[in-house]
Amino acid sequence: MTFVFRNQTVEPFLGYDGVTYSGYDDISVVPEDVDRYIWFYQVPVNADSVQLAQEIDSYCDKLDIVLAAANKHKPFIIFSLVNLFPLRLSGDETALDEAIGAFNRHAQQLSRQHTQVKWVDFSEFTLRYDADALINWKYYLMSQTLLNPKLVHKFQEWWQRIERELSLNRKKCLVLDLDNTLWGGVLGEDGIDGIQLGGEYPGRAFSYWQRSLLELSRNGLILAICSKNNEADVLEAWEKNPAMVLKREHFSAIRINWRDKATNMRELADELNIGLDSMVFVDDSPSERELVKQLLPEVEVPDFPLKPYELMPFFKSLVEKYFRIYTITNEDRSKAEQYRANAQRNAEQARFVDLESYLYSLDIQLDIKPADEHNLPRIAQMTQKTNQFNLTTRRYAEADVQQRLDAGWRIYCVSASDRFGDNGITGTIFLEPLDDTTVNIDTLLLSCRILGKGIEEAFVKTVFNLLRLDGYRKITADYIPTAKNGQTADFYDRMGMTSVGTGDDGTRHYEMALNDVFEIKNYYNIRVL
Amino acid sequence: MSLEEKVLEIMRETFGVKDVTTEASQKNCEQWDSLRHLALASELEEAFDLELEPEEIAEMTDFSRVVAMLKSKI
Repeated sequence: MTFVFRNQTVEPFLGYDGVTYSGYDDISVVPEDVDRYIWFYQVPVNADSVQLAQEIDSYCDKLDIVLAAANKHKPFIIFSLVNLFPLRLSGDETALDEAIGAFNRHAQQLSRQHTQVKWVDFSEFTLRYDADALINWKYYLMSQTLLNPKLVHKFQEWWQRIERELSLNRKKCLVLDLDNTLWGGVLGEDGIDGIQLGGEYPGRAFSYWQRSLLELSRNGLILAICSKNNEADVLEAWEKNPAMVLKREHFSAIRINWRDKATNMRELADELNIGLDSMVFVDDSPSERELVKQLLPEVEVPDFPLKPYELMPFFKSLVEKYFRIYTITNEDRSKAEQYRANAQRNAEQARFVDLESYLYSLDIQLDIKPADEHNLPRIAQMTQKTNQFNLTTRRYAEADVQQRLDAGWRIYCVSASDRFGDNGITGTIFLEPLDDTTVNIDTLLLSCRILGKGIEEAFVKTVFNLLRLDGYRKITADYIPTAKNGQTADFYDRMGMTSVGTGDDGTRHYEMALNDVFEIKNYYNIRVL
Repeated sequence: MSLEEKVLEIMRETFGVKDVTTEASQKNCEQWDSLRHLALASELEEAFDLELEPEEIAEMTDFSRVVAMLKSKI
């Protein structure tokens, strides 16, 4: 059940099924037994802007009171305040704008301080419409529904998208073309200094676009290149064109050649160790887009703007549709760097004759930690995003993870680092005690960027040893096949577990007695924290 | 589709119930509360491209009155 705090009628917008509403501006009841909370206040209609500003000021305190009383383990979504009926009587009435700004800053602050709090920018919806279309005075005066009921369907469309984004459905990688996409013109024809980048329009538009993309990569998005060009020309342009914002080092992987783009996309996915369904392909050529759409339906292929001046709204739509998340974890921020370090690691790997001496040289450090309030968002995020090394592919929101912890489950996560860099938290295991001596592995997953180093095995064996020390004597587990997780099909066999049957849906059941201590290769430095 | 059928469809959609009949009224249909009454009015205005005055909306308390009101405005 969703519980909504509101000061106007919002039922037509947020619906009736499974939703309970507070009284109008009534914070006296804060139920604990809910699935999530929504705070959806609107700026009331009041010609006295000073009085109105005071009322808005009080919302900050009310929000604090509600948040303090709310169940900390359930999502709390705060809509930003938007003045739907700005009255300017004297022209210098700043008090109201300040109060609205202060509330929105406060709400954003709360979303940074508390993992369960998410801030939703309501203006993103309202800015699409003219002021006249936002309010229908007839319905407002009949029912206190300030937002025009005619916008119900548009609102629900928008809100569904936001809800999807709230559940961490984000793409990981943006693959870009070069000519007429990252700059204007064709490098092979116009030359390094002839392409349109920087200076006056249209070059200026491409500069803004590149700077925006750079910012996105700083927030954890992986950038890659897929372009038909001579690689040497491009490398030279990256080095020598002074207006270039995005250069070689900003791209985690590149395919600059004359082969078909579908093949290149598949290779990029392999090299970056991500699924094609995590990629967005941006190219100015309709035929290239069509090819990728046809051959790789998992890849998102948005239309590219026809005019350079449309690049900024295009950038905004990319962010809104594919790349925004509501809790940016530190893991996200440094992820693009990690992918680049991995590319370096792969080069290193080629120089060692055998894998073991390579692994030894890496100086791998594994930290295994029980779930806590700091790593819980990341753990939930991993269950949402990990597809390949994921034995059961069960998706959990933060609240679901908390609920399982409360029910006595043991949940561990593993952080991995080596001499090339810190990969952060990259794996998790959910253990459900079935009785005093038996435990079931509900979820086991590792981010694919750390695979190939035996970390999954070291992690699982360490956890098994911990369980044995705690008196557990039997482990059960399932492998649920999906389109993506074929590489883990025999993982439990390799761990020495016994297959005890296969379900109708292909799920394989395993069990194993915990008698002996598992030996773990000595090239991992393992700490249990 | 006849006007009656279209109205029934909008009512089902707006009230979120499948079994809305021509007998439906604010009295016998639990979902037809005051808020959803206004939602219904708003949807009808859109569907039939007309404006309903608050007094007219207030009179549309059952299916046949809704239909009669719409017919008088078209």
